Amino acid sequence: MNENNEMLAIILAGGQGSRLGKLTKSTAKPAIPFGGRYRIIDFTLSNCANSGINTVGVITQYQPLELNAHIGNGSSWGLDDQMGGVTVLQPFSSTEGEKFFEGTAHAIYQNIEYIDQQNPKYLLVLSGDHIYKMDYEAMLDYHKAKKASLTVGVIPVSPEEAKRFGMMNTDETDRIIEFEEKPEHPKSNKASMGIYIFNWATLRNYLVNSFSTNNELEDFGKNVIPMYLANNESAYAYSFDGYWRDVGTIQSLWQANMEFLSPYNSLNIGDHNWRINSKAQVLPPMYLTSTSNINNSMIVDSCYVAGEVDHSILSQRVSIGAGSKVVDSMIMPGATIGKNAVVDHALVGEEAVIGDDAVVKGTEDDIAVVGYGEVLGVKKS
Amino acid sequence: MKHNSVSAIINLVEPWEQLEPLTTNRPVGTLPFGGRYRLIDFPLSSVTNAGIQNAMIISPRSGRSVADHLRSGNDWNLDTIRGGLFNFPYNDLSLIAPQKKETLVHHYYDNTILFLKRSNSEYTVIMGTRNICNIDLRALLRYHQERDNPVTTVYKSIDAKDSDPDTTVLQLTDNGMATAILPAASKNVVPNDNGKFAKSLNIYMMSTVDLIDILKEANERGDLISLENLMLQAVMQHSANAFEYTGYYANIHDIESYYDSSMSILEEDNFRSLFYSQRRIYTKVKNEIPTFFAKSSHVKGSLCGTGGYIEGKIDHSVIFRNVFINRKSQIKDSVIMQGTRIGAGTKVENAIIDKNVVIGPNLQLKGTPENPLVIGKGKRIFQQTEVSNE
Repeated sequence: MNENNEMLAIILAGGQGSRLGKLTKSTAKPAIPFGGRYRIIDFTLSNCANSGINTVGVITQYQPLELNAHIGNGSSWGLDDQMGGVTVLQPFSSTEGEKFFEGTAHAIYQNIEYIDQQNPKYLLVLSGDHIYKMDYEAMLDYHKAKKASLTVGVIPVSPEEAKRFGMMNTDETDRIIEFEEKPEHPKSNKASMGIYIFNWATLRNYLVNSFSTNNELEDFGKNVIPMYLANNESAYAYSFDGYWRDVGTIQSLWQANMEFLSPYNSLNIGDHNWRINSKAQVLPPMYLTSTSNINNSMIVDSCYVAGEVDHSILSQRVSIGAGSKVVDSMIMPGATIGKNAVVDHALVGEEAVIGDDAVVKGTEDDIAVVGYGEVLGVKKS
Repeated sequence: MKHNSVSAIINLVEPWEQLEPLTTNRPVGTLPFGGRYRLIDFPLSSVTNAGIQNAMIISPRSGRSVADHLRSGNDWNLDTIRGGLFNFPYNDLSLIAPQKKETLVHHYYDNTILFLKRSNSEYTVIMGTRNICNIDLRALLRYHQERDNPVTTVYKSIDAKDSDPDTTVLQLTDNGMATAILPAASKNVVPNDNGKFAKSLNIYMMSTVDLIDILKEANERGDLISLENLMLQAVMQHSANAFEYTGYYANIHDIESYYDSSMSILEEDNFRSLFYSQRRIYTKVKNEIPTFFAKSSHVKGSLCGTGGYIEGKIDHSVIFRNVFINRKSQIKDSVIMQGTRIGAGTKVENAIIDKNVVIGPNLQLKGTPENPLVIGKGKRIFQQTEVSNE
């Protein structure tokens, strides 16, 4: 690895995302559309490119087709680099058996040949399912300054939220002294973001030793961090205080989309110095007919709106018929809503069809979901 | 030579004077159109949709805006390992110094000949940009191959009363062959029995070998005339097969025609015919954020690009990418290009506002449908006295 890319990024994008129900039935969570013209993984990929990381491995496993097509050669993020580039890493078979993986650390172990090929000094491990803007270069600087073996990205959370996270308890120098998974009585407010920088040589030793002795380090949170702490490796917490959302559930995905509903949102999506890029399709401009009525909403290319849209996000190629009303909802690419229909507090999947006069109504605590390609309320002729 | 392979020449040397100030710093081919496109996107997309991989762009001047828009040609699938996009600037003879002109005699067509030879193609199609259409070049090639004349040209049947100073008309024989292409204003040009003209769309298909011969002969004669005029001569010399195009069509030759064409695309049938046919229109890809429509916004019968922020009222207008329409402003029957900002309470009607213009608050910008108000690129207008048609 040349000196411009001493750090290799690995994005873990293989999880099923079963808590997203119907939406991840046929696609991986990182490929789920977000904010009108993005997919969830765009935030992590753009962060890599904006942080000057030009070599990225994306580990996939569950339903990878849409994700692979989206990532392509990485050119949408300027990652089609002569010196590096994006490599999609899929499970493969070998003389040692099939290299599917069970946990996050196991996923790294199964792709050890790829990582060795890049020969990085530092390994950045990322999740492909978070919405945030973060400079990983600043985190690497911190990792170097602390002479750390492991640095964990952490975000402040309330004691109530802490019950859902892996919590890092640190001393006054931010060195991690204890790790608690989903504690009932949290001792700190530092929740792990699932972002790690490792000295690759050290992590490699741990992984190889443990997997060759059947003492398997499957998961970073459950196994690797406890082992690092037990062995007195220097592990530090790096505090991030920007906007960060885990969008692993229907509720949190809807909530994050609603928070996105302004160009001056907490994510500052319009900031040209930290652009979030996506695979851009060339589509005609949006067409808003004389019967359209749009308030507090975000709309993108190739939408056709003849109805009412209030506090909602319409993705590419969405069509809203006359007399229909879309409120507090996020409509994914290619979905069609007929005439005089109502869609309220809902996530509508790609290419779904909602017929004339149909009603899809959720509540703030129970968001309605229409699956990919699902057809609702269309009368059979 | 691969059987049936086609190369394309997009000729941007076109009349631009009547389109000032929109064409002061750009050729007609890079005029923004339809909310997110440039005129050159239409012929280039036809090229892409026909699987053509070799394209030559003839630019009148430096071609900065052309190069900026096209880059590697990636967005039109023209950066493959076979073929590619070749940009040739400084071809507008009216802008070339007399001494330089002398050196061009016997050499003016050298670059084009070189491109054609290297393209190794069997056929070549030549297109301009000021006639907007979405043509199937594969069908045009088949039509050409089935007929005997060395050149095939394309027309759109229009009402004779709809012709304008830029209109040139195919003179058709009874068996549908074109013997000449003449200005509609010439006294020998008369409509057919249905009052129609066969309006030339400035598109020519011929074998590459024949085109190289035509260019070599012009070089030998020492001609310094545009490719467009050379093609008119070729039709007169050889007669041409005439292919009728029946889809959406618009001709951009002056401010009023640009304005009318922009408004015509707001009619849903026209919009669908041009943008949602089997043949997609490609353009430079940009990563803009979604357009935000605030609670106070009120948008009817309009096209909008992405990256916009809309607070005011928009009625029957074409709004490009990254446009800011502030509170209580009213935009009616207008074209607002990329990156322009309209201040609060300002009223815009029957106007064309070029890229990156800033209009202050509480102003009135009004033209008429026959004489739309035009604000040139990058203008800053903060007082009513600064509003004037250029």
